[in-house]
Amino acid sequence: MSGLIKKLFGTLTQKPWEKEQMAMDSLHEGKTFNISSQKSAVIIIFGIATVLFSLVFTAYLYTIPPEQDTMYLLKPNLLWINTTILFFVTYFFGKITKDLEKKETLKIKKNLIIVGGLSYLFLFGQTIFWFQLMQSGNYVSTNTYFSSFYFFTALHGLHLLGGLFFWGKVTSRVLKLNNSEILDEEKNISALSLYWTYLLIVWIAFFLMIYLFNDSFIAWCKSLIS
Amino acid sequence: MSEDFKDSKAIQAQSSETISSGAGSSSPDLDYVRPAEVGDQDLYHGHSFITKWVFCQDAKVIGVQYFCLATFTGIIGLILSWLMRLQLGYPEAAGFMTAEHYYQFVTMHGMIMVVYFLTALFLGGFGNYLIPLMVGARDMVFPYLNMVSFWMFFVAVGVLLASFFVPGGPTGSGWTLYPPQAILEGTPGSGMGIILMCVSLILFVAGFTMGGLNYLITVLQARTRGMTLMRMPLTVWGIFTATVLAMLAFPALLVGSLMMMLDKLLGTSFFMPTILKAGEVLEYGGGSPILFQHLFWFFGHPEVYIVALPAFGIISDLISVHSRKNIFGYRMMVWAIVIIGALSFFVWAHHMYVSGMNPWFGFFFATTTLIIAVPTAMKVYNWILTLWRGNIRMNTVMLWCLGFIVTFVNGGITGIFLGNVSVDVPLSDTYFVIAHFHMVMGIAPLMVIMGAVYHWFPLVTGKFLSEKLGKWHFWLTFLGAYSIYFPMHYLGFIGVPRRYFEMYDSPYMTSAVGMNEFISTAAFIVGAAQFILIYNIIKSLKIGKAAGKNPWQANSLEWLTPTVPPEHGNWGDRLPVVHRWAYDYSVPGAKEDFITQTTPPSEVTDSKVEKT
Repeated sequence: MSGLIKKLFGTLTQKPWEKEQMAMDSLHEGKTFNISSQKSAVIIIFGIATVLFSLVFTAYLYTIPPEQDTMYLLKPNLLWINTTILFFVTYFFGKITKDLEKKETLKIKKNLIIVGGLSYLFLFGQTIFWFQLMQSGNYVSTNTYFSSFYFFTALHGLHLLGGLFFWGKVTSRVLKLNNSEILDEEKNISALSLYWTYLLIVWIAFFLMIYLFNDSFIAWCKSLIS
Repeated sequence: MSEDFKDSKAIQAQSSETISSGAGSSSPDLDYVRPAEVGDQDLYHGHSFITKWVFCQDAKVIGVQYFCLATFTGIIGLILSWLMRLQLGYPEAAGFMTAEHYYQFVTMHGMIMVVYFLTALFLGGFGNYLIPLMVGARDMVFPYLNMVSFWMFFVAVGVLLASFFVPGGPTGSGWTLYPPQAILEGTPGSGMGIILMCVSLILFVAGFTMGGLNYLITVLQARTRGMTLMRMPLTVWGIFTATVLAMLAFPALLVGSLMMMLDKLLGTSFFMPTILKAGEVLEYGGGSPILFQHLFWFFGHPEVYIVALPAFGIISDLISVHSRKNIFGYRMMVWAIVIIGALSFFVWAHHMYVSGMNPWFGFFFATTTLIIAVPTAMKVYNWILTLWRGNIRMNTVMLWCLGFIVTFVNGGITGIFLGNVSVDVPLSDTYFVIAHFHMVMGIAPLMVIMGAVYHWFPLVTGKFLSEKLGKWHFWLTFLGAYSIYFPMHYLGFIGVPRRYFEMYDSPYMTSAVGMNEFISTAAFIVGAAQFILIYNIIKSLKIGKAAGKNPWQANSLEWLTPTVPPEHGNWGDRLPVVHRWAYDYSVPGAKEDFITQTTPPSEVTDSKVEKT
């Protein structure tokens, strides 16, 4: 981060009209960061998604009325299972990244399919979880807590579906390639891996703040304001 | 995959090699440029009419598509403003219009002009056309995504306009769409109207995100050799920073629109408090309408700068080219753009002074609002100092530039009034506010658009626009706009409220009647004057004077393509190599009064670049 800030300020203080700077600038290759366009896109999407989810969190905290009791909330075990699945997805993506680094391409196809399968399993689990909530009488309009809960999980699911769309495109290409050619897709695969890591981070934030420690989190936020 | 550029990797050459074949005096050391390390971009070339002009992946065509569609929606916005002014100035002639119609026109006019006209035109139109050309790229980095971005915008406009034809008509809740009234019965368009508005905004944001990704990554990662960030023209800096703002601000609009749709369709209460209606308690409860205001203005205020920053960048380049001087304080101009962009996220609640916020918040937001005036004023000074002792060409482009500076200062000063809580409270919801924001983010950016159209039309079409018609267009717009908005400040001072269908009968209102008639007449003339441009474009396309290469003798890369207008891929078989910034005008010792960005140092060894 400090490197980025240094680079940014270093750039902004350049004097492009001076001869010494001109000589240096003429050696510039044209790229600002030494990463692929795909990875750049994922990082920018992180930025946008971070703002989006932060706003959802803020709205959640803003709309929980002081009198609303959040202790009674149903906490079925399924969400733990779904969270574990998401950890497994990240684990398998980690394996893929390591294989790419070592240029060992034998297991990449299999692991990519596992990643997609587990992600769809996660979405299936989330849908079941919604049904469990609804069966227990907790609908999207029941109170503002559940409105935020459904809203957040829906947005996270859509975010995952967006990732799965690109996973489908990359995987279908990879499956057609020989093992020796898979390294050509390295940029796309590592961008996907980064994307899923971010999905896990957002999910953990949600899981801790809105699900696991929702009462103490709200109490802490209220104490900050008071 | 491109066939045309497949061999280009092999013939990427250092500029020194290029020069030595044509100019024997060049010095290889002086002009040394690092060989290309990045492979050339593969492009998809359309072969049918559909892939060349409709579902096209060329950023220039997409830019023109954005421009045309945004102009079309802008004309609808203009017609709506005429109808509003007809009602306000000559209510007896507007018998067909009900109060509901009026509110719907107000709402649609506001949303269309801010989002679907100005934002789409600056970022989608100018961004797409100019970014790849100005940074020396063949195209945007993700051309397919770029094409999808435009078609999402197209669908968003379609959905928005469809709301005119659904039962109940479009939403009439004001362009700010404040709940709870936006979704409750009694407000025009509270059924399908508001739903279509939200859907359209969601589509717009999704589409823009795809385009924005392209703008950012193209600027950061796909510049040509020698094009450092601090050698980029200010137009690119403005569009780049505005895109960053948009990427961070539009999620707030997205979240607000989604939540409001859920409130409307699924009965959630994100923005809905407990409400009594005709003695009955509605099913809503627990939500906060103020939350929507925060979300809306967290988007809404940066939106002002999403429009203004590209305008700042473009005007800087136009002034520099047409006064034949380097831009005064280039670094300061870049810093000002970045600082304004950053500060724009800390001022949103100045739109909410009357929402009952804690006075300390008001104090905080008033302070941040007034701080923004500092970098903004720096920019104005620098524009004036660029003009100072310049070899000014008093052409249509320059007239629009001068018109912009005056109008922007005018609107900016009234912004300082409204930024102070104690002044804002009595002026809030009066015509003073209308006059302020139309001056600063309506007319001022419009003048930049017009200047930019007259400036870059020769690049896009190879023809000049008629100067004579251009000057008529300018003077009618400039004088007409002041005839509209100067009196409006007075209306605000005497307390005439905004968003009133008709003025109630009171002694002080009578003085506003004549003024409203005058304003409406001026609005009709100014609106009609815009069609001069359309006539000028059609006429110039048919019989306009051929412009040739680089007709304004500018330095930036967009004018240096091998063909004019530039073809797909922009640069033929060889990417340009940049040796300097874009502002070497009237350099002492140089043969001509401009040194293009691609001119190698060996060709201008006797020149002395002035420090600013």
